[in-house]
Amino acid sequence: MTKVSNKKVIRQLAFRELKSNRKMNFVVILSIILTCILFTSLTSIGGRLINGAQQETMRQVGGDRMAGLKNVLPEDYEKVRADSMVKDVVYRIIVGRAVNDGLKNISVEVNCAGDENAAKATFCAPTTGRLPENDDEIAVSSLVLDELGLSHELGISVPITLDVDGKITEHEFKLCGYWQGEKVAMAQICWVSRSFADKYASTPTEQFSITEHPTYAGYWQVDFNYANSLDIEGKTDKLLTRIYGNSETIPDTGINWAYAASNVDGGMLAGGIVMIFVIFAAGYLIIYNIFYINISTNIRSFGLLKTIGTTSKQIKRMVKVQAAMYCAIGIPFGVIIGILSGKALFAAIQTTMNIYSVASYKISTKLLVMICIVAAAFTFLTVMISCRKPCKIAGNVSPIEALRYNEVNIGTKKKDKKSVKVTPLSVARNNMSRGRRKTIVVVLSLTMSMVLVNTLFTVLKGIDLDKYVSAQIVGDFIVMHDKNSYYDDDAFTKITPEQIEYLKSIDGVRQVSPVYFQWGQLEFQGEAIDQLNAFCDKYADTDKFGEIANAKQNKTILTDIYGITDELLNEISPSNEGFDMEKWSSGKYAIVNTYYLGAEDEKGDALYSVGDTLTLTSWDGENKRKQDFEVMALCEMPYALSKQSYYMLGGQVIIPESEFFAMTDNRNAMIVIMNAEKNRFDDVDTQIRYITDKSDSQVILKSKQTYLDEFNDFIRMVRLVGGMLSGILALIGILNFVNAVVTSIISRRRELAMMNAVGMTGSQLRKMLMWEGVYYAALTACCSIILGFLLDQVVVKGIAGELFFFTHKFTLAPTLICILILLLLSTVIPSASYRVLCRDSIVYRLREN
Amino acid sequence: MTVLKSEALTKIYGDGESKVTALDNVDLSVEQGEFVTIVGTSGSGKSTLLHMLGGLDRPTSGKVYVENKDIFSLKDEALTIFRRRKIGFVFQSFNLVPTLNVYENIVFPIQLDGNDIDDKFVEEVICSLGLTDMQERLPNQLSGGQQQRVAIARALATKPAIVLADEPTGNLDSKTSQDVLSLLKVTGQKFSQTIVMITHNEAIAQMADRIVRIEDGHIIKGGYPND
Repeated sequence: MTKVSNKKVIRQLAFRELKSNRKMNFVVILSIILTCILFTSLTSIGGRLINGAQQETMRQVGGDRMAGLKNVLPEDYEKVRADSMVKDVVYRIIVGRAVNDGLKNISVEVNCAGDENAAKATFCAPTTGRLPENDDEIAVSSLVLDELGLSHELGISVPITLDVDGKITEHEFKLCGYWQGEKVAMAQICWVSRSFADKYASTPTEQFSITEHPTYAGYWQVDFNYANSLDIEGKTDKLLTRIYGNSETIPDTGINWAYAASNVDGGMLAGGIVMIFVIFAAGYLIIYNIFYINISTNIRSFGLLKTIGTTSKQIKRMVKVQAAMYCAIGIPFGVIIGILSGKALFAAIQTTMNIYSVASYKISTKLLVMICIVAAAFTFLTVMISCRKPCKIAGNVSPIEALRYNEVNIGTKKKDKKSVKVTPLSVARNNMSRGRRKTIVVVLSLTMSMVLVNTLFTVLKGIDLDKYVSAQIVGDFIVMHDKNSYYDDDAFTKITPEQIEYLKSIDGVRQVSPVYFQWGQLEFQGEAIDQLNAFCDKYADTDKFGEIANAKQNKTILTDIYGITDELLNEISPSNEGFDMEKWSSGKYAIVNTYYLGAEDEKGDALYSVGDTLTLTSWDGENKRKQDFEVMALCEMPYALSKQSYYMLGGQVIIPESEFFAMTDNRNAMIVIMNAEKNRFDDVDTQIRYITDKSDSQVILKSKQTYLDEFNDFIRMVRLVGGMLSGILALIGILNFVNAVVTSIISRRRELAMMNAVGMTGSQLRKMLMWEGVYYAALTACCSIILGFLLDQVVVKGIAGELFFFTHKFTLAPTLICILILLLLSTVIPSASYRVLCRDSIVYRLREN
Repeated sequence: MTVLKSEALTKIYGDGESKVTALDNVDLSVEQGEFVTIVGTSGSGKSTLLHMLGGLDRPTSGKVYVENKDIFSLKDEALTIFRRRKIGFVFQSFNLVPTLNVYENIVFPIQLDGNDIDDKFVEEVICSLGLTDMQERLPNQLSGGQQQRVAIARALATKPAIVLADEPTGNLDSKTSQDVLSLLKVTGQKFSQTIVMITHNEAIAQMADRIVRIEDGHIIKGGYPND
């Protein structure tokens, strides 16, 4: 084959054609810009969120290193440092905890940083001042200063009550540095000097794993990075093998789950892919549509080109070159606007989510460039794929047909048409049915936008505040142990009978219901053993921690024993069949739940059935009491009422308060649920704080309002992002509609002029064009209502319905609003574009090809 | 009776350097039932004249009377309505509405007017143009000659005061041209229809009762009353 160098002339032709067609160019470029904006702003928001979430998680974890060794000795640090596969190795030494009365609400660790990098790795490098060097120096997070009521000033004296593995000492430090504390972090850190650490928490001689009573003081935490974040767990296993071989004293390791989360979050990935696909589809539909119309409009000139010897390959190439030119103009604008709008939108998200630490969400230049490239590439791809089919049509056009082309699908089966009375309405209907493909594409793209908007709206609407909050808190107020004392032996028996009496005496209180807790054990006897054995055999494979084997051997499982007052029964088993209040009051019955976290559905198989007898032992110190109960109902203790921690394999037994008191001497409650009379919330809140805010109090108050506030922030953000997404989708749909109507008018200039010439008046023409728009809107309405309903039933009910705080309410409001807008547009646009058309005289338009 | 009359009709396109006088003080009158052809070379102004006569375009100066009505005194909408009632157009490129079938295309102007169709008359027109068997076909199922016959039927169906034909055979081969023109002439006579037709083909022009020659925007022969 002869190689012809004709690329230049084709390019030139493409360029000339573009120049001659300014209005169409504007529409095409605008749609490319919009698609690009959508891609860019979403990838940038997505990028920021993922990056931010990772950072956020790191701040929660309290470290940015990928992995670490826990509780090791200096020699371990040296071994790790010597390994060639790891880098950025840092260490810090555990000293103890700060347990000042003022620090009840936060947990504060006292550590010694190996160096400046170690402090940075935990996001706790002093931004003012420096790390301590002398015995009496300390560097703390600003939150600690705030909690202690101290000013942010170097040199001030900081009193610390230090708990070193149970040994309490009082110290007076001088502040040598501080930094902005992270509220999200699990613990705040105070840095002390190495000399102080050596004095109060000297380096242990034994490996941590072989000490009998675990003490933490003096052990080192060694954290490090690998070259990349892939398979951190596997790399860590290999590292351990390299360093320790088959030694028995392998230290515990920690994998930073900030990396794990970003790597394997299937849900997020799937969501992202769906999102990208949706934008791609929206972009595809609009760009395809425009190119298709563009080619229909220019079909005569393609025919002409063919008659003078342009090959179909050359015409295709010409269209492709045009598409590329459009991209070259549209994409830069789109990327810039997209980045800016992404940034603006993110700023809004950030202000709403004021609980976030701003620093986490800064975006690096490298990431920004990557986002731009990805978005540009996606847009380009969308354009190129979108114009493939129209390209083919242009290439395969036959010159003769092109000259006679009038948008009636030539290939369709020719059918005679029954005569009907000609009115603007009927002509409009005929016009709709001639470009079936075009009608389908326009209606489809409109429908898609609308269905998505509707679905998003339904999801947003369905987020149920009450459901969310009621999972977190029962009643209006809850009095419970504070965070610090969670690990105390008496964590679940902090509220004294006197305090309960006081709470009951508060004016305006409607209900005060204490929940009592006791450690216990379930014993299996008789037939129940078979059930236990069957259960143990079933899950033997998953038994990583030996709990199943233990249970099988001892015929016991650990259990929480809860004593409750009758009012709380409503919260526990509101709809449990066979529940009998009289039986319950007799004290011989219990509500029970067993769970196994190793099982796939976490609840495992129930070990009891209603009517079984269970043997319960309570461990009241050395004092063990045993009693039988009959199982009245199987029901989980609501999270908010439980002790909020679980064994691998365990049970929850709920018995009446009176029976609980018979099984233990403990009269202190774990939590107290309170309801206030209407309009007395603030009052009651203040009065409860009288005991919880006392300096020696170990209990705190949580109110429904705090949870509501928290959740409202979250909802506001979801609404903002969802709303903006819906907005853009709706905009694309409407743009597509406008584009379809306008181009259909422009491409029929001559036909409309002819109709005008034979006597169709301007108002009749406008009416006809208007009806075309109305047909689009009506068709779209039908499709989106049907599809929207289906999608709602399948996807929303199926996926979002699973969320515990979701109440499904189907609504068509957004669709109806959009359709109203479409109807409005379908009356405005035709007359506006017809007016533009009328600037050229009929004669001129009639002559046009 | 004079059906159509133009007085000092002038049309000037553009201004300054690019000023083109397409029509220059054209006076023309056409009697009821006459078949007039306007002949001229391309660019002579014959199409412009026809468009003025049909009220498709407004003149720079001068007047056109159709049945003694000064058509340019009408506003655009009223002119359009006047056009569909009083003037039938036949274009070179047929100009049928692609989505309407033959019958619908023919009665299109009548129905736009909201008038009842004179079924008998329309049937007669359809019959005399030999379109009876193809009333339910769409334009793209017809040959060029057939399409032009539909266009003629459309022009006649409203019983207009005058039919204006703009090179109606320009897109047809000579045999078909002959057929179409014969039909045009015959039906014109049958319904005693006034017809003004543009052509640059002398042979075709000879079929007319009168030939008007136009050159550089001036009528040089056949324009009456000044002849």
